[in-house]
Amino acid sequence: MSQAVADRQETEERQTVGGRFARLMDMGDGALAFWLLLPTAVLLLAIIVYPVCRLIYTSFLSLSLTSGLPASFAGLQNYRDMFADPVFWSSFWNTVIITVVTVPGALVVGMALALIANIPFRQRWAFRLALLVPWALPLAFCGLIFAWFFQSDYGIVNDVLRRLGLPTVIWFNSYAWATVAICLTTIWKTSSFMALIILAGLQTIPRSLYEAAEIDGAGRVRQFFEITLPLLRPAIAVALIFRTITALQTFDIPYTMTRGGPGTSTVTLAMYIRQNTVDFLDLGYGSALAVAMFALSMIVTVFYLRMIRRGA
Amino acid sequence: MRFDLLSGKPLRIIAGVILLFNGFFPALWIVFTSLKTESELRVTPIHYLPTDPTLANYVRAFTNQPLLLYLFNSLFIAVCSTALTLFVATLAAYALARLRLRFRGLILSVIIAVSTFPLVTLLVPLFQMMRSLGLLNSYLALILPYTVLSVPVCTLVLVSFFDGIPRDLESAAMVDGCTRIGALFKIVVPLSAPGVFTAGILAFVNAWDEFLLALSLNSSPTFRTLPVGITLYQGEFTFPWPTISAALVVGIVPVAILIMIFQERVVSGLTTGGIKG
Repeated sequence: MSQAVADRQETEERQTVGGRFARLMDMGDGALAFWLLLPTAVLLLAIIVYPVCRLIYTSFLSLSLTSGLPASFAGLQNYRDMFADPVFWSSFWNTVIITVVTVPGALVVGMALALIANIPFRQRWAFRLALLVPWALPLAFCGLIFAWFFQSDYGIVNDVLRRLGLPTVIWFNSYAWATVAICLTTIWKTSSFMALIILAGLQTIPRSLYEAAEIDGAGRVRQFFEITLPLLRPAIAVALIFRTITALQTFDIPYTMTRGGPGTSTVTLAMYIRQNTVDFLDLGYGSALAVAMFALSMIVTVFYLRMIRRGA
Repeated sequence: MRFDLLSGKPLRIIAGVILLFNGFFPALWIVFTSLKTESELRVTPIHYLPTDPTLANYVRAFTNQPLLLYLFNSLFIAVCSTALTLFVATLAAYALARLRLRFRGLILSVIIAVSTFPLVTLLVPLFQMMRSLGLLNSYLALILPYTVLSVPVCTLVLVSFFDGIPRDLESAAMVDGCTRIGALFKIVVPLSAPGVFTAGILAFVNAWDEFLLALSLNSSPTFRTLPVGITLYQGEFTFPWPTISAALVVGIVPVAILIMIFQERVVSGLTTGGIKG
């Protein structure tokens, strides 16, 4: 009813109120929507669509700012170089390993944290804050903090190992241990975000389901696998997509913890893109690497979307 | 509504302590480290609590690097991109929540797709663009990409908040001679203040945390942001951990306060709109 009144009022207004500005402010839905969505569209075109086109174009050029030569068309040369480049492959596999280890890792730890946070404690704010702090901590800070934890002589991790009578580890001198440290740090940082999403999902599950299961004699563990987990699936799926896409872009934590060392063994794809672009100013090659990452994240997104659709 | 995997009070308390330890220990350890002297750091077995607490590291954190400038740069860039994000996202969200649009579904899908876009891949073209526009080492070089990073998520949060505001209120305002845009800013935005605020915190934290673009596009000290600046206390082989820790504490405090005061809104924002982790 009020909509009709408003519509009538709007037409009257348009006839009586003069001035271009007033008419602009009272235009129809289509025109108004155009103006309202314009800033978003301009931003997305300028900062995403145009750069993506330029990225793909540049990946076919030979364009190195240090050589001083003008850009020239190079066909697939950058891609051929990329597939023959051992550092590309090691950075590719490092990125894949970090993703494959830390995404499920963060899911499992996040699930545990969410189940704990769901316990009806009296000081709920403190528990919520304990989940929010790791989420809000910048990844670069997190990398530095954990680099100190894993420091071989005076770090707390080796101190605990020593006190437990276990052998200590020089974390950043070997590829394997450095990767372990990077993965553990990433899992700590990202699990709390998973926990917040899962916790929100947990709180929407009706209690009556558990009561019914209890009457049927189902134990807590069975309740978890037959009620909690299936009902959390949508929340988990969304969280997994975002987490995987960000894991593929891993940069901050390895950069602050190891700078890619020892040697170039822990360099990730994002680190290699930055190195070629900013340090070597080889924009053609950097673009080809970025296209590879773009393709990788597209594959992941399509894969997840398929999975969700099949599940639903 | 609730499901407890754990029964028994002692078990629950242990679980609770684990959760608190997991969340707070790293920050706490950095506070302890920041109060220790360089020599106290180099004893084994290590001291857990500083025996002779000192604030000298904080002085060093501010004098060895222009920490105050980094703080200002980070704050300025985050505030500007948050304001720009909110303005752009409010307009878009209003259109999506209130107007009869033919392509509403399509536009929403595009926004959701953009929110999962890997920003790292844009490093090369953004570097090229900012270089040719002479914007390398400027506030704008980061404000614009950070805004794009947050607009999708904030739009989704705001759409869900605007959906919750009765249309009658707007109609009533328009009967009283308010224009549609007037109704948006006088009725809808104030009523969805919690939503606008939530979206704002998400945008702020996104901008505050970003590292790769800040490192690559703004390398000169004048425009350097805090996360980048904090990695520069270390030399090639030296790590002045107490000083680094003091700088980290200074960097953590502003966001920690924000999160502590507004935790409920942050949680609701993270779970209603899309998510960025």
